[in-house]
Amino acid sequence: MRLAELQTQMQRMLLSASGSDPALSGLLADPPEQRGRRLAVYRNNVRHALLSVLEAAFPVVRQLIGTECFTATTLTFIAERPPQQPILYAYGHDFTDFLANFRPLAELPWLADVARLEWARNEALFAAEGESLTPDRLAAIPADQLASLRISVHPATQWLESAWPIHAIWTAHQSEGDLLETIDLQQAERVMIWRRDGVVHQRELTIGELTLLKAFATQRPLAEAAEAALQRDPTFDLSRALACWLNERALGPPIMGAL
Amino acid sequence: MFTRNRATLPAQAGIGLRHPHLPAFLATPQPVAWLEIHSENYLAPGGPRLAALEQLRGDYPLSCHGVGLSLGSAGGLDATHLARLRGLYDRLEPEAISEHLAWSTAPDGRFLADLLPLPYTDEALTLVAANIDQAQEALGRRLLVENPSTYLRFQHTDWDEAAFLSELVHRTGCGLLLDVNNLYVSAVNHGGDAWAMLDALPLEAIGEIHIAGHARVATSWGELLIDDHGSPVAEAVWALLAATLRRTGPCPVLMEWDTDIPELPILLAEAERAERYLQEVTDAAG
Repeated sequence: MRLAELQTQMQRMLLSASGSDPALSGLLADPPEQRGRRLAVYRNNVRHALLSVLEAAFPVVRQLIGTECFTATTLTFIAERPPQQPILYAYGHDFTDFLANFRPLAELPWLADVARLEWARNEALFAAEGESLTPDRLAAIPADQLASLRISVHPATQWLESAWPIHAIWTAHQSEGDLLETIDLQQAERVMIWRRDGVVHQRELTIGELTLLKAFATQRPLAEAAEAALQRDPTFDLSRALACWLNERALGPPIMGAL
Repeated sequence: MFTRNRATLPAQAGIGLRHPHLPAFLATPQPVAWLEIHSENYLAPGGPRLAALEQLRGDYPLSCHGVGLSLGSAGGLDATHLARLRGLYDRLEPEAISEHLAWSTAPDGRFLADLLPLPYTDEALTLVAANIDQAQEALGRRLLVENPSTYLRFQHTDWDEAAFLSELVHRTGCGLLLDVNNLYVSAVNHGGDAWAMLDALPLEAIGEIHIAGHARVATSWGELLIDDHGSPVAEAVWALLAATLRRTGPCPVLMEWDTDIPELPILLAEAERAERYLQEVTDAAG
């Protein structure tokens, strides 16, 4: 048998539900009664390695559905969508999409959005380094230039909108959070995730803050961005939002030369 | 970029740098001669781990151990991945780089996250040699290729493992990363003689030695050893290391520990024991 054919056959066995493959066993030199056990070592290694990656990326999803259910769900995902590249920090980006369409978990409609939040945290952790806009640097910009200033968003900064209280659910699974039972599951939430000094943080956003952040990300001038935020939320407080994000180093430098 | 210019790893004991130990290394210099990383753990665009490594790089000689290139892939190497590795190696300028005699990527491009076994056939030899040539060219560096731990054997083989590795060294000019634990695990799993295999390997091509712990699993026919890097080095593997060093002389030795990772002092104590074996052969040579 050609090597390509052997590797294709072995890959099928490694990802299959049963792990049994008489044709592959027939290619081994080991005694027949030992072959299944020997092949199983590799199958266990593959499943364990990929399961560990997803356990590390989705700890709250795992707590929400329990270890046993998480393992079963994840093994289905691994079999259907194994990694397509040898960099495992990026494996699991489509687990969120898989969960959204996974019928056995359909009664937990917020689960996929909690997974999106965990994936956004993962992306924030591994995002490129980038310059941050500091309060001092913003203060040094002449007042007559502020209205037309286009502020960028730091490469690690992410945001999410959900019909579910994903920030509250996530926080309930950290040591300092409220109990899950006390959360109103009908509450929509917007969450911002950022990295400061190598540590990932998140907090809930108001609709005004989210509007401002999205306006920055689309390179709209500060005055226009603030106006859009106020339109969505009459109580929106620009200086408060800016002070918080600058202190947290969640924004990037002004975009130069943009019109 | 770096304050010292180093060409090769020191012939001393090093340890595999793992995420739980990064804070200890960043806080204070640790008594270890050199470090090894898994290259694929540092290919993200940024983040605290990469930042920590770049900070530590100036203080320790470094070996970059790839776990994803899949030299045994019948579908050839992933050019995108080679370019990623080249970028990392150009930034870090490691003293050594290595990969495994195994495959991890199936012909359809799926990555299986394990070091899977190759049949030692003429076809596989030609293919792996071509892949090593391509990798050394693309990475601009000599590769050390590691002997695998294996749990099964294929009926169709044209070479034994030692001869296969010797031929790869001969054809490609690559070096050998001798994993003494793998040598022992494979020998026990296939009823072979690790000491005889040691003598058959191209020891003159060794650029680095690995040691690690393994697990012992009971089966219906006896024990199967699993290379899980989750415990101290077994006494039989220490004996094999000592025998190897008597043949090769002083050589860089790396302690690997990847599952159930212990506190740093436990890992450093294993490296210290390796250092004592190294000292013995250094003294004998002197």
